[in-house]
Amino acid sequence: MSAVLITGGGGVGKTTLSAGLALAAAGRGLTTLVVTIDPAKRLASALGLDGLGSDPTPLADNLWGAMLDATRSWNDIATRYAPPDVGPRLTANPFFEAATQHFPASQSFAAAEEMTIHIESGQWDVILVDTPPSAGGIEFFTSPARMRSLIGGRLLKWLTGGSLPGRRLVYRFTARPALRIADAALGSELLEAVADFLIDLRAAYDGIAERSREIERHLSTAHKVVVTTADPAPLSEAAKFFELENGPPEFVVFNRVLPESWYHPTSAAPSPFGDNLVRWGTEAHRQAEARHRFSARWHVEPATIPWQPQTPSDLEKLELMIDSAVGLDLDRLFT
Amino acid sequence: MRPDGRGYRYRRYPCQVVDKRLLIVTGKGGVGKSAVTAALALRAAFDGKRVLAMAMTDDTGLAMHLGIEHLRYRPSHIKSGLDAMVIERPEALNEYLRVQLGVPRIAQLGPLARAFDALASTAPGIREVITIGKVLYETKKGTWDLVVADGPPTGQIGSHLRAPTTVARLVGAGRVLDQTGWMIRLLRDRSTTGLTVVTTAEELPVTETIESLAAIDEENLIGVENVIVNRTLDPLDGDVDGLSDGPAKQAALLHNALFDEQERWIARLPDGPRVPYFFGLHTPPEVAARMADLWGMP
Repeated sequence: MSAVLITGGGGVGKTTLSAGLALAAAGRGLTTLVVTIDPAKRLASALGLDGLGSDPTPLADNLWGAMLDATRSWNDIATRYAPPDVGPRLTANPFFEAATQHFPASQSFAAAEEMTIHIESGQWDVILVDTPPSAGGIEFFTSPARMRSLIGGRLLKWLTGGSLPGRRLVYRFTARPALRIADAALGSELLEAVADFLIDLRAAYDGIAERSREIERHLSTAHKVVVTTADPAPLSEAAKFFELENGPPEFVVFNRVLPESWYHPTSAAPSPFGDNLVRWGTEAHRQAEARHRFSARWHVEPATIPWQPQTPSDLEKLELMIDSAVGLDLDRLFT
Repeated sequence: MRPDGRGYRYRRYPCQVVDKRLLIVTGKGGVGKSAVTAALALRAAFDGKRVLAMAMTDDTGLAMHLGIEHLRYRPSHIKSGLDAMVIERPEALNEYLRVQLGVPRIAQLGPLARAFDALASTAPGIREVITIGKVLYETKKGTWDLVVADGPPTGQIGSHLRAPTTVARLVGAGRVLDQTGWMIRLLRDRSTTGLTVVTTAEELPVTETIESLAAIDEENLIGVENVIVNRTLDPLDGDVDGLSDGPAKQAALLHNALFDEQERWIARLPDGPRVPYFFGLHTPPEVAARMADLWGMP
């Protein structure tokens, strides 16, 4: 079984690459699931992902797809890991959806949970997960720990009291002197509703913390692919993955790559096409320099994918894109 | 110049910031939102305005394009006429408690701020109100001729612009409620405030742009100043098929394919300024400076 996480900054082509790799895995006869976040319409229709739900749906031979629905995932998390009496109250709380969306790394944690469920099901040879765009996917790896520190944190303990008393605590809550000011600011009705929610959330801590450790274990054994272009913002996002505690990514893919052979410092004969080659050649040169700097700094041999003028619009074009990749070791990726 | 006169539109000054006091910039991740924010701020400062550039959520992009390591909550001087800052949560929260809610300084230390922060993370809109409130407060207080805010990405801009209304509905009473009225008015005041949406001419950014424009319009959240299309190509004249095989032909084919693809998506957007693709530019400050120069051309 191989779990593959596709990470990287915004707009670098993660979703397209995830789809292409999934297709390549399925083409090798491996039972493959791709979990994606928010594909472009054209890509979605290329894969038949239109109207896809969060449960795996067949897309092609050996290939299944699922969309991440973070709201549903969080409902499931609360139902599964909170004590039986607390779970339903949590999900019914009017603040639940807004709060879970606001949690640091919330979408990432939901995606990591979905990945873990699919790994545990034992149904798949290959699971590819397209990571949420926030913070370049880096918080994907820190999300379990952040979730534990949020829910088990000193702040929540301080707010809700050392032990877990009954719901009468709400009244003590607003009785705390410092909170009287918050009460004046927000009104006591809101404050009590929020307090209710936080108390239930804390009661769910043990279950969610235990689960987050399992998720962490699966994240650390998954293959990590970092996708980037040669532009400064995605490159600095990509560099962050090399500073993670659980080891550097094994695969770096540079997308939208121009051929180095286009670079010639001077134009042969001045003509519109010659001038056009010079400026694209300059761009190719800038890309190559950035790529070489990155590979020297982090000791990696990046794979490259040539610049595609448009998002692949059918399965054949997705396959062509993966075929055109240079230096991408699919055998290693899928085992 | 193209026959339909659409070429070189980017030479036009992209925002009539002369009569605006606040511009909020949004766009999908990776389209150059921070570069445009920095360039707008630089341009206005070159034109003699006192400008504050603010990073609303994450300072990485804006700092990079202004050529500095990090921004702080306290405005730091970048160049003549230009200061920049980032809205950091603990500081913004303390200032909100003190200035807008009238909480005494002593009570802001430790527990209350932490408690309020926890509440703010739970109740929808409160965190966003603190961020957008700071941007509006800097605009209102009159220190600056222009505030340019590097806003949240298109996916989150709605929840920020909507936050004062959300909070007003949620909070039945209390001082937080009292502070939402002026925020909503200032956001909707088209003579003062405008939204700039940055996009590239690709499927996902254009789709997101169209969706957020529709939502903003329907809810009357803010006046849209313009939609700036970044990294656009101009058409290449001549007969590509007549070229012999080689890099020049390959480059021309890629260029034309990209150009056609861009035009498809641009056609769906409202008319607006375009920024050209900057071939071979290395650093973010170079990109921002080039953009600012371009907009200064007559």
